[in-house]
Amino acid sequence: MTSPTKAEGSGSVAALDPELDATSEVAEGPKKLEGRSPGQLMWQRFKRDRTGMICAGVVIFFFVIALLAPVLTAISGTNPYTLYGQDPTFADKPVLDEFGLPLGYFGGVSADHWFGVEPQYGRDLFAMMMYGMRTSLYMAVAVSTLLTVTGVIIGVVGGYFGGRTDYWLGRVTDFFLSFPSQLFFIAFMPVVTAFFVDPREETPTYFRALAILIVLWVLGWMGMARLVRSVVLALREREFIEAAKVSGASPARIIRKEILPNIVTPVLVQYTYQLPSTILTIAFLSFAGVGFVEPTPDWGRLFAAGAQYTQQDPAFIFFPGVALVIFILCFNLLGDSVRDAFDPKSGR
Amino acid sequence: MKSLNSRRARAILVAIAAGSLALTGCSENTGGSSGKDSKEDQKKAKEQSQGVAYLDAAASSGPAEEVPGAKSGGTVTVYQESALTHMDPGQIYVSDAGQFSNLVFRGLTNFQEDGKGNVAVVGDLATDSGKASNDNKTWTFTLKDDLKDQNGNPINSADVRHTIERLYAEFIFDGPTFLQSWLSGADYRKALPDGGFGDKHLPDSVLETPDDKTIVFHFDKPRPDLPMALAMPGYSIVPEETDTKEKYDQAPVATGPYKIAEFKAGKSLKLVKNENWDPKTDAVRHQYVDGWNFQFGVTESTQTKRLIADQGDSKNAIQFTGTVDATQIQDVIGDPEVKKRTIQGYAPYVMQLSFNMDRVKNKTVRDAITYAVNSKSLIAGEGGAYGGDVAPNLFAPTLPGYDATYDPYGRLKTPQGNIEKAKELLADVPAAEKKLVFAYANSEAGQKRKVAIEDALGKVGIDVVSKEVDSASYYEQIGKVNNPYDMYITGWGQDWPSPATVVTPVYDGELIGDGQSNYSHINDAKVQELINKAITQQPEEAAKTWDEAHKRILEEVNPAAPLWYVKQFQLYGSNIGGARYSTESSYMDITRVFLKS
Repeated sequence: MTSPTKAEGSGSVAALDPELDATSEVAEGPKKLEGRSPGQLMWQRFKRDRTGMICAGVVIFFFVIALLAPVLTAISGTNPYTLYGQDPTFADKPVLDEFGLPLGYFGGVSADHWFGVEPQYGRDLFAMMMYGMRTSLYMAVAVSTLLTVTGVIIGVVGGYFGGRTDYWLGRVTDFFLSFPSQLFFIAFMPVVTAFFVDPREETPTYFRALAILIVLWVLGWMGMARLVRSVVLALREREFIEAAKVSGASPARIIRKEILPNIVTPVLVQYTYQLPSTILTIAFLSFAGVGFVEPTPDWGRLFAAGAQYTQQDPAFIFFPGVALVIFILCFNLLGDSVRDAFDPKSGR
Repeated sequence: MKSLNSRRARAILVAIAAGSLALTGCSENTGGSSGKDSKEDQKKAKEQSQGVAYLDAAASSGPAEEVPGAKSGGTVTVYQESALTHMDPGQIYVSDAGQFSNLVFRGLTNFQEDGKGNVAVVGDLATDSGKASNDNKTWTFTLKDDLKDQNGNPINSADVRHTIERLYAEFIFDGPTFLQSWLSGADYRKALPDGGFGDKHLPDSVLETPDDKTIVFHFDKPRPDLPMALAMPGYSIVPEETDTKEKYDQAPVATGPYKIAEFKAGKSLKLVKNENWDPKTDAVRHQYVDGWNFQFGVTESTQTKRLIADQGDSKNAIQFTGTVDATQIQDVIGDPEVKKRTIQGYAPYVMQLSFNMDRVKNKTVRDAITYAVNSKSLIAGEGGAYGGDVAPNLFAPTLPGYDATYDPYGRLKTPQGNIEKAKELLADVPAAEKKLVFAYANSEAGQKRKVAIEDALGKVGIDVVSKEVDSASYYEQIGKVNNPYDMYITGWGQDWPSPATVVTPVYDGELIGDGQSNYSHINDAKVQELINKAITQQPEEAAKTWDEAHKRILEEVNPAAPLWYVKQFQLYGSNIGGARYSTESSYMDITRVFLKS
């Protein structure tokens, strides 16, 4: 990388962070200091950031338990679909009172139901949350990644080449921006369903997932594209780009080697904001009746349903709520740490 | 990571966790009991289900009996979630406008209640509840003296004629159609296309107004229910001189104790006293308060919160057709001070799982589903014991002739479904017939119902295919005769206290059509015969015929599985006096309301 980071040289980094040498791999030997790639530098800086490491651990933990939902619910012996409060086969173990609110302490926390039960139907909150996290997290990651990649490609192309290319890409971006995405979704989903699904067959859940993915992707990449374009526009006038051009580098090489490493910071920050908001968007779609429907567990919808019971059964929002707060906080802090590791000057 | 150090992050987490714990407290819920109240409601329902008496001139003359302790003055605040859809009497069919109508409009007859569950029909503008010929085909009404509308114009028989004739016009499309079709047949609009605004009027052989005070209806069939039909808000009087056709919906002329002072569409409505209303001519209504202040757009959740808090203006407030928010029911029941301020009873609706009989032809399957459905879990989704009651049959508790013990499918014993019995019935049914499409409104409540239905029917081996239907057009979609669904949850309530307004619209095979309420498409010759017999009979005999028809429908045809009865649970402010549940409207009896101070 001939970026400013590199321009400082390994010497200056070492001067700023003397202990970096001490923590660097001993195997490489002290004489090979210059050989470290920016990626290695970043990793070394990141390892020294305690908050970043903890948050990374928490985020990975969330993804792992979401992935392991079936295993975890097998251990707890519950599933997210049984109505423990209404099912006659569970009549000997009542979990709800006459008003449909959980019996016992803290929303019905017990050995059977670790996080208590849902009001009205008495479904197991632990199982609903594990499966709901799986739905929401992986949908959100897929959507955010897709639209980040699309946004970066379109933004870089527009920003770097400029001129007519930029003009037309800009107009296409404007065109997509003019769609109210959620309204569009509400209007389009029934049409798409009617077109692809037999009226006497149930709409499959994978079909809903795919539809959500595609629509959120197609109507969501514009913010990222705009952001990247503006950063690239400023970058391409910088000396090191000029220098690369003069030395005869191809546009592909310049984009890959000179520009992309320098837009990582804003893209990462944008991505860490995008992911939590996508979780909530998916939940909203479910409320508007075009996203996932009951009984498919969904973290966002669980959170929204809990909000209705905050006064009567606060425990119902406590578990999904605290989990959501921790996850989003850690995800944002992790994003900050990664950014700082890439660009240590920005935090000072 | 210098902008936010980890210690601070930890502090934030701890604060959040501690805050939530403090909020929840750690108290144990051992479960209260609301079973007692449920019994009380059933007792009330028994009162509710008595027959309706037609009262004479003495009972129909004003003024209305004083409400004990009533005081005059003050303004009542009314909370309502959505604004009134119509104010033109001819367009009024839904309950919120019906309540409003009882304050502002008067018809030929009206319902009178004694608070013990007895409902009677008295003359309102008419001197009595109507005089019928022996065969019930001719009905004569005489108007009281000195009747005036809000402008001081006298109300005479020409106004009554105009009120009825304008119902034939194209711009009246949302109101009830009983009277028109009784007079001129199902295709009544052709009989008088311009609605009596031109020179053409209904002939004397149908509607006769021999003098200023007399109105005579001539029907081709006996119509013993006419006094109750005329008490519907949709047949309130529209004075001829001041009718503005379409514009009347925004600015109607009052004939009752209150008139419209200010109306902001979708926002607010202010009613003030109508000085031209004479209490001596009215046997039902009072004019205790000076005015009514309607606030629209207040959600049921907000209404409940405000009324529980009972602060400031909320002390003088009532819920109009809203009910206590399902999630806050416990807060209302748990506090005796709040519970005192509630009105409880049954709403007239029976929720049922209607089968599309064009598709689900095998009665064994329908019976099995009727056994399998879990009423309890569906009611849980509606707010538990105070939101609904298990329905053993298809007649609502508010209907005369209701029998709480008539339970052919053993619903009261096994409210969570009789799975063994259903499995037994389904044992020999081929798999193809067990795959059924269930349509549900795609709203929060609809999705809840879907979960309960799928859960219950899945247990007995029915393959439920759930199809979401846009919730705004749900009834329109399932109301189509050739809809692609096998079953759907529907609700229907009586128009007046007679099974005629339930059995006829919902189970009459002649009324199958797009947009009709015969959602199950039942077309049974025996039921048909009984309906035709019952609608011409006197109430006592008719009750027996209706009962027979009910048993035939539920046991031998089974077009719909009864699920639950909708319950009414309203809250009012502490300064409101005279609040009482109205058996007829199933809401607060709004004519009696006064302010204590």
